Amino acid sequence: MTDVIITEVEGGRTAGAPPSSARRNWAWVGLVPFFAFLFLFLIIPALSVFFNALRTEDGFSLAPLGEAFSGQNFQAFRFSIMFSAGAAIVGVIWGTLLAYAAASLIRPKWLRNLITSFCGVAANMGGLPLAFAFITLLGARAGVLTNILNWLGLDIYEHGFDLGNTAGLIVVYSYFNVPLMVLITLPAIDGLKQSWREACANLGGTTWTYWRRVGLPVLTPSLLGGFLLLFANSFAAYATAAILTDNSKIVSLRIAFFLGGDVSIGEDAVGFGLVAWMIIVMAVCMSLYWVARRRAERWQSL
Amino acid sequence: MDLPLDAPLPIDPELGASTTAPTALAPQSVGRPNAKYARIVPITVVTISAFFFLLPLLTLARHSLQNVPAFLLGKDTIFTKWSLEPMWRAFDDPKFMPSLKLSLMLAVGTVFLTLALLVPTAVWTHLRLPKMRTFIEFITVLPYMIPAIALVAGIVIVKPHARWFLNSDFALIPFYVVLALPFTYRSIDAGLRAIDLRTLVDASRSLGAGWGTTLRKVLIPNLRTAIISASFLTAAVVIGEYTIASTLLKKTLPAFQREYTQREPQAGYALNLLALLVTTLLFVLLSVLTKKRDQSRKPYVPPAAEPTLPHTPTGTLT
Amino acid sequence: MTTLDFISVRKTFGTTVALEGLDLDVQQGELITLLGPSGCGKTTALRIAAGFEFADSGAVLVAGSDITRTPAHKRNMGMVFQSYSLFPNLTVAQNVEFGLRTRKLPSEQRHRRVHEMMELVQLTSMANRYAHQLSGGQQQRVALARALAIQPQVLLLDEPLSALDAKVRTTLRDEIRRIQTEVGITTLFVTHDQEEALAISDRICVMSQGRVEQLGSPTEVYRRPSTAFVARFVGSMNEFAGHVGDGAEVSVLGRRIAVPSAAAHTTGTPVSLLVRPEDLALEADGFPGSVASITFQGATTLVGVRLDVSDTIVSVGVGRGKADDLSLGDRVHVDVHGVNAVTEPV
Repeated sequence: MTDVIITEVEGGRTAGAPPSSARRNWAWVGLVPFFAFLFLFLIIPALSVFFNALRTEDGFSLAPLGEAFSGQNFQAFRFSIMFSAGAAIVGVIWGTLLAYAAASLIRPKWLRNLITSFCGVAANMGGLPLAFAFITLLGARAGVLTNILNWLGLDIYEHGFDLGNTAGLIVVYSYFNVPLMVLITLPAIDGLKQSWREACANLGGTTWTYWRRVGLPVLTPSLLGGFLLLFANSFAAYATAAILTDNSKIVSLRIAFFLGGDVSIGEDAVGFGLVAWMIIVMAVCMSLYWVARRRAERWQSL
Repeated sequence: MDLPLDAPLPIDPELGASTTAPTALAPQSVGRPNAKYARIVPITVVTISAFFFLLPLLTLARHSLQNVPAFLLGKDTIFTKWSLEPMWRAFDDPKFMPSLKLSLMLAVGTVFLTLALLVPTAVWTHLRLPKMRTFIEFITVLPYMIPAIALVAGIVIVKPHARWFLNSDFALIPFYVVLALPFTYRSIDAGLRAIDLRTLVDASRSLGAGWGTTLRKVLIPNLRTAIISASFLTAAVVIGEYTIASTLLKKTLPAFQREYTQREPQAGYALNLLALLVTTLLFVLLSVLTKKRDQSRKPYVPPAAEPTLPHTPTGTLT
Repeated sequence: MTTLDFISVRKTFGTTVALEGLDLDVQQGELITLLGPSGCGKTTALRIAAGFEFADSGAVLVAGSDITRTPAHKRNMGMVFQSYSLFPNLTVAQNVEFGLRTRKLPSEQRHRRVHEMMELVQLTSMANRYAHQLSGGQQQRVALARALAIQPQVLLLDEPLSALDAKVRTTLRDEIRRIQTEVGITTLFVTHDQEEALAISDRICVMSQGRVEQLGSPTEVYRRPSTAFVARFVGSMNEFAGHVGDGAEVSVLGRRIAVPSAAAHTTGTPVSLLVRPEDLALEADGFPGSVASITFQGATTLVGVRLDVSDTIVSVGVGRGKADDLSLGDRVHVDVHGVNAVTEPV
């Protein structure tokens, strides 16, 4: 008689399904309202745009998308992109300088808080009140500054300035772009550690050396991210531009004209193609921004 | 306005009052005995910026409230003909009140829907699906990729199929919730990160409270700052939103502002001035309310733990 | 001969006096530690040496030349900071190379020196990594390499071990000492950790509130503390209340203890007698008491004894094995060896 030792071996799984995965499956349900909401009110309109942009009488076709990016439409995109880039660059440079000023002026103590509070408000300002405010400052007839300059002998409108053209719009857009840049860049500047500055000096580097070899390189992802964000912000802006100009080379205005029944855009599909391209530009821009921010934070959190 | 100091997000006036070590950029350059001149550049930048940001507001006020055309301004006319009359005129316009009412109701509705949708979702994500956090964050970026003007184009397409819904003025509410999503979600999410959610919930549940009670008596009071912040931001956005409202021909306050300014210039400008003041007041109120709450400074949390996208409603007002 | 001299260096920040006339001479190749609690002025002194702060009055000399007003980047000093001082956007090798590039050395020489330094700190395999990929201890070693690469006249270390884990701290501190003696560089080391100071210094300068309390070798500072502050700060002390007897004696709780340091005070002066745990012993004769706690510390055991006469607990350092038979509540006698005790007038 052999002694048989029977070892109880649990069959691969413990009794009952592993609780964690069952719970995990079930936990997804909690997100359904959120996703459903987004799907209904964001995804569906967005998809409809693409859907309509790819539809001609003959069925599915990429032609309208192509047309939406050629000829006059292409000119519009080119203009808008250049313009947005210009506005973004102005915003980045000025915003960084202002952020640097806010970070470095530790006396008076309330200055920095004041600057950031104001930026918090101004970054959200836009649209109608802003446009009207600038009309009262730099408008052709109503602008106080315009009149002052006229009185001093300088007619800016004669020199080609106009609130509605590129230069003017960039000035107005800076009102919300610069604060936005300040708010984004301040944490990055705070993240520049004192010890780096001192170590650089200790190793023989001047202020210029520091900025060139450590400071600016470390800030670059943040600055780049800021540029992308301001670009997206400027490219997507509608209300402010709508008040100041009717330039159809601004993509958001062009789309508004199309939605309002402007026949010159062409077939419906082409019009929606415009919108589709706008979404694509924004998507690319924001994705790059995401990447830049991740990189910036890696160094900020050291 | 409510966020822990570490969040690299724009709308946070507390961003300045940092508890982190003194910044690397003290006015005197490192290692030099006498470098007081280093303050000149920053001070100049701030001064010029101050002019740039304040002047338009001042001229707007002047234009609205002073009945003197700009080209007639001079030493002798600068103090004449100031009055609040244009503002009263705007209030008296028959279309003003209805549009104001609509905008306010939309604001309230949007705030409620936002909180009702986002607070449970954020809490749920934090508790049950922590790994989904990055994904959800990315999802909250989507509204940025589809700016207001593009969204409204999509709405126009869908309109024939949902006329019954889109005809109502309140149809704007869900879209406003979407528009405000990036920063309202971020606000609440940051608020959740600042409290130790897991421990609070476990403590509450172990003491016998059900989910409803926990939400009501434990979570929401602790999230008060984040909720107030999200609400105020949403309200500011809704009250100023023009793009979608105008394209869908809804008679909200901004739509009225636009139309009225074309009809009655000076009174219209006065109205715009008021709108600006009210929005600013909202923000000031917000920072006052949230500052009182944050009596104890929260410990420093590395930015890497924080969301990466900005707080502003780009493309909604601009 | 590279010496570092502080001559009556005084520094105030607003109304706080950070340094009250510091006089210190660091000899060639010596490692002096500035030891003290926060606010004692040690960091200020170091930063004045580095050039990040400037003395209100007094002078700082390196190898005899006055550098008091020289800007930081023109001084030839290497500094290791407390933490996070490596440039995050540069690799380890590029970090170490940094000071050589500012001095515009030709690239071949730079590469050779970097390689030497990496070997010195034993991190050659990490040359192409970035700071965030390194552990805290490795980062500090790179920082050391970077500071030494420029062959500075003086090495300054600002609490380099404070941000590290305990185990890493001990290994790294021995590393630093080894490298410092190997290279033979004049070094100023700042810390608040007295164990560190005792372990690696040639001399320790104990500071408090901007003043030097004692300057001496580790043994001197530990065994013959010149002030009560030093006695308490370095190592731990038991305190007994008593008064000075005739000659070199202190009367404590009814017993007379021979204490050489009491000779400096007049008979009858009420004093605090400060005695190290290892100068107390559990003997047959002494203050009676009962065992209140037994703290095993590896090489030694600290036995807390509640004295009958005063109901205070004194810490008795007991060597290996001798405390094995003790349990809480046991009756023992504590004998006081006053030869190294410090007498502090109350």
